Amino acid sequence: MVRRGALTPYLFLAPGLALFVAFRVYPLLDGLRLSFTNARLGRAQYAFVGLANYERLLEDTRFHASLVNTAFYAVASTLPILAIPLLLAVALNRGIALRTFLRSAFFFPFTLSVVTVGLTWLWLLDPVVGPFNYYLKALGIPVRSWLADPTTAMWAIIVTSVWWVTGYYLVIYLAGLQDIPRELYEAAALDGAGGARAFWAITLPLLRPVFLFVFVTHVIGSFQIFGQVFILTQGGPGDATRTVVQHLYETAFQNFFLFGSASAMAWVLFALILVFSLLQFRLLRGHTQY
Amino acid sequence: MVGFAILWLLPAVWVLVTSLKLTENIIRVPPEWIPWPATLVHYGEVLFSSSRTARIGRAFVNSAIVSVGTVALVVLTSAMAAYPLARMRFRGRNVIFALLVGSLMIPNAVVLVPQYILTHRLGWLSTYQGLIVPEAAMTFAFGVFLLRQFFLTMPAELEDAARIDGAGPWRIFTRILLPLSQPALGALAIFAFRSAWNDFLWPLIAVNKPEMFPLPVALALLRGAYSSESYGPIMAGATLSALPLLVVFLLANRRIIEGARVSGLKG
Repeated sequence: MVRRGALTPYLFLAPGLALFVAFRVYPLLDGLRLSFTNARLGRAQYAFVGLANYERLLEDTRFHASLVNTAFYAVASTLPILAIPLLLAVALNRGIALRTFLRSAFFFPFTLSVVTVGLTWLWLLDPVVGPFNYYLKALGIPVRSWLADPTTAMWAIIVTSVWWVTGYYLVIYLAGLQDIPRELYEAAALDGAGGARAFWAITLPLLRPVFLFVFVTHVIGSFQIFGQVFILTQGGPGDATRTVVQHLYETAFQNFFLFGSASAMAWVLFALILVFSLLQFRLLRGHTQY
Repeated sequence: MVGFAILWLLPAVWVLVTSLKLTENIIRVPPEWIPWPATLVHYGEVLFSSSRTARIGRAFVNSAIVSVGTVALVVLTSAMAAYPLARMRFRGRNVIFALLVGSLMIPNAVVLVPQYILTHRLGWLSTYQGLIVPEAAMTFAFGVFLLRQFFLTMPAELEDAARIDGAGPWRIFTRILLPLSQPALGALAIFAFRSAWNDFLWPLIAVNKPEMFPLPVALALLRGAYSSESYGPIMAGATLSALPLLVVFLLANRRIIEGARVSGLKG
């Protein structure tokens, strides 16, 4: 006999855990299993093929291109994603007028779906009738078809992403700034350390945990970039903006329906994300004490 | 700063302005920022014209059903799971919580293919439950994390008093814990609504009947169905898709920001 009430916690947990195991844990492990098979869409029987899918990835030049593009996106977008929301947050934290309005204005794009954001910038960047090029021309800046030029297409996607997520990170930074004790700034001011000096000596070091969070969140998100590319360039021109998730999507659901191969890609991506996250925590955790 | 904020909003303003212009005025250069004469013809077209590959009106209803269903499922299951994790002692508690927190690291793209196979086997492709259940599973662990934090802050005396009065755990949960947790439940509901309303990748794969498309998928396909000159209907669709969250945002500005801030703690 079970003691009365001993089952209670498990009964409360049961519905959620059922959902979680069936649609998170099981698919994760099933993906690993599939990555060693030649499963395809609609193929009822499939065989174990060992590491063949992973070996094929070593030769898949489009997969390599997508890895390079994804890495480029992650690296090139990191500085603006770290810096722009920080600068805005520091400015907003000074208690200026209209603070709520300003914060909301920057946050608003984050409430939009990636598709809406993508369509917005597609229209803005329209090479012929879009306002972006019109105003650049008016300012005397040479224009081009940003999304159709392989040297600028990824940058256009980065700008789009920055516009989308800046408000979210701004809020995170603001919370971090509010946790810094005011006395530190007062003490610094007494010692004659004003604005810029206090920023470098107090704000930046004390924000380190927030930086870590923003950095890791952003890079993990970057590894999975898909929607912006799907709407703005479809991976083009050529393969200039093809990303890993897009390649995975096309391999599994658009062109070849190769579930085994796509699962191998998914696990390579997962491994990269895991290694990266662990590395970041290792590297940065030691420094967060103050 | 104010100037910069207005500049930041201009892309969204441009979408709205475009959606209200007559077709022949949309592509006029230099860009006109006042839609005059204004028209709702593009809204009528995307909402009611049946000739398009995806009707936005129907997609709007689909998105609403899926998002509300997801919110209900996430809030209910997360709250139920967070209650024992925060306020009861039992075997396996720490392991379960660690697993849930660890799962926040699982990228959605990684489970895409097996989740598709599972949904297919259940016969749930192109159905509401095929969108609701996986979306809820995506947000569940975060919901548990958020609500557990909140439940932990509640004084134990409340429960003790109820227990002396003879209330069982379910009664304590529904009559004391949930009513006192409205701010946290609200933050989670908004978070879950936003992610379900805006999700793109999963419905792109899990739905292949046009009448079942949620908004992001319908909009993405609208882009392909129109030539690049006809931005009017696309921008009308984009504006419509932004409306519900804009309304929620204006009504519950503080709570959304709070929710986003708390979500930042999950890392």
